[in-house]
Amino acid sequence: MQLDRTAIKAAIRSKVIELAKALDIDATALGDAEIIPATGYLDSSAILELIVWYEQAYDFPLRQEDINIDNLGSIDAMTDFLLACKRR
Amino acid sequence: MPNPVYVPRVNNNDDTVRIVELRVKEGDFVKRGQILGAVETDKAVLDVAAERDGFVLKIVGPPGETAGVGSVLLWLGETADEPMGEEAMAADVVVAAGGTEQPTAKARAMLRELDLDAAAIPAAGKRLTVADIEAWLATQRHPPRAAGTATPAAPEQPPSVPGEFRELTGEERGMLLTVLWHRDSAVHGYLEFEYDPRPWADYAAGYAMQNKLMLSPLLPLLAFRLVELAKASPRVNATIINEQRYEYHSINLGFTVQAGQTLYLGVVQGVQEMSAARFIDALGEVQRHALAHKLRPAESSGATLAFSSMARWNVTRHIPVLPPYTSLIVSHAAPGASGSAVLGASYDHRLLSGFDAAQVLRALAQPPA
Repeated sequence: MQLDRTAIKAAIRSKVIELAKALDIDATALGDAEIIPATGYLDSSAILELIVWYEQAYDFPLRQEDINIDNLGSIDAMTDFLLACKRR
Repeated sequence: MPNPVYVPRVNNNDDTVRIVELRVKEGDFVKRGQILGAVETDKAVLDVAAERDGFVLKIVGPPGETAGVGSVLLWLGETADEPMGEEAMAADVVVAAGGTEQPTAKARAMLRELDLDAAAIPAAGKRLTVADIEAWLATQRHPPRAAGTATPAAPEQPPSVPGEFRELTGEERGMLLTVLWHRDSAVHGYLEFEYDPRPWADYAAGYAMQNKLMLSPLLPLLAFRLVELAKASPRVNATIINEQRYEYHSINLGFTVQAGQTLYLGVVQGVQEMSAARFIDALGEVQRHALAHKLRPAESSGATLAFSSMARWNVTRHIPVLPPYTSLIVSHAAPGASGSAVLGASYDHRLLSGFDAAQVLRALAQPPA
């Protein structure tokens, strides 16, 4: 998986849309800065699926304390958190 | 001092397992959580993970061997050349080379019940099983079993419609085992309680805001409340063994997780010692492992109480199957058109009455004050 900001954001957006579609919800209007849990596009189980996909796609195991709105709340946040941790 | 890695229990009925594979060799360095190998029974396969970092000092149970549950699989040390103590060497002998002829626990119970001699009944494998006894009974025209137990069945013949056999996956075998225990061992009762879900939704939303949570804590908080109720009523966290109530010392909460096509019962062990916050974290970790199909042995076995929700699929009621050796599983569902919702309870009537189950649901329907 490519560690390019634009590619990461596109991949996360695509996954959110896919997970929402499984719930019969159209999430194509999701903004990069929108707080995903607050949009109602994904329920808790789907957000967990998104997180597990994110860990596996970027070989990026998370600690439970990493899973919060600041780090993973939006497409922007997920991208920034991934790039920041990978650069350390 | 060397530390042992023990052979895990795969399920409650099998006291031995077969070592399927080892992914390490003596001298290797392993990290905590690394999969060291796998063991199996005829019902399931389980990975064995390292509980700590260390060097593999000695492999006791090589692949292909049958090993006793709780015996030593291998030894880990802090350095590659750490000496093995006498205790470590002595513990090696608990591995049962080549297996044992002792009947399975269920088979022993059946032998006792029917007053049969194990030596008279041929075993298809290394251990005498209930299936062996039932097959033998079918050939002996033995009198029907005691009331309350299943009738021995002759081997099924395939239907006349053309088809082919497919091996069950480990998860499918687990489901089969669960359903058979529910059918053959428990005396199933079910009841449900209609309630207003809004107070719980408000409570969970407030909790999420206060603790800045990313995921709704509604289901974890409901499950945690169930644990609190079980702490106050130990019969809820128990099972029946040999016509005696077996009250568990630990509350191990089983929680259903649908991961693609696979339904897991993830297990959080020792919840009675946890705060709500700690439980939410622990359950979140188990759910993530389940969704990645990487549940650890302790996260997929030993449930003593269970909780299941099908609300995300807008199912408004469902009757869950009791996990083996539990007396209660609570089902949560989506609100109906009227706005009210239903909490259901499948319970083992040998242990709990309808009144007992109703009391749990009534209390569970209200969030903590």
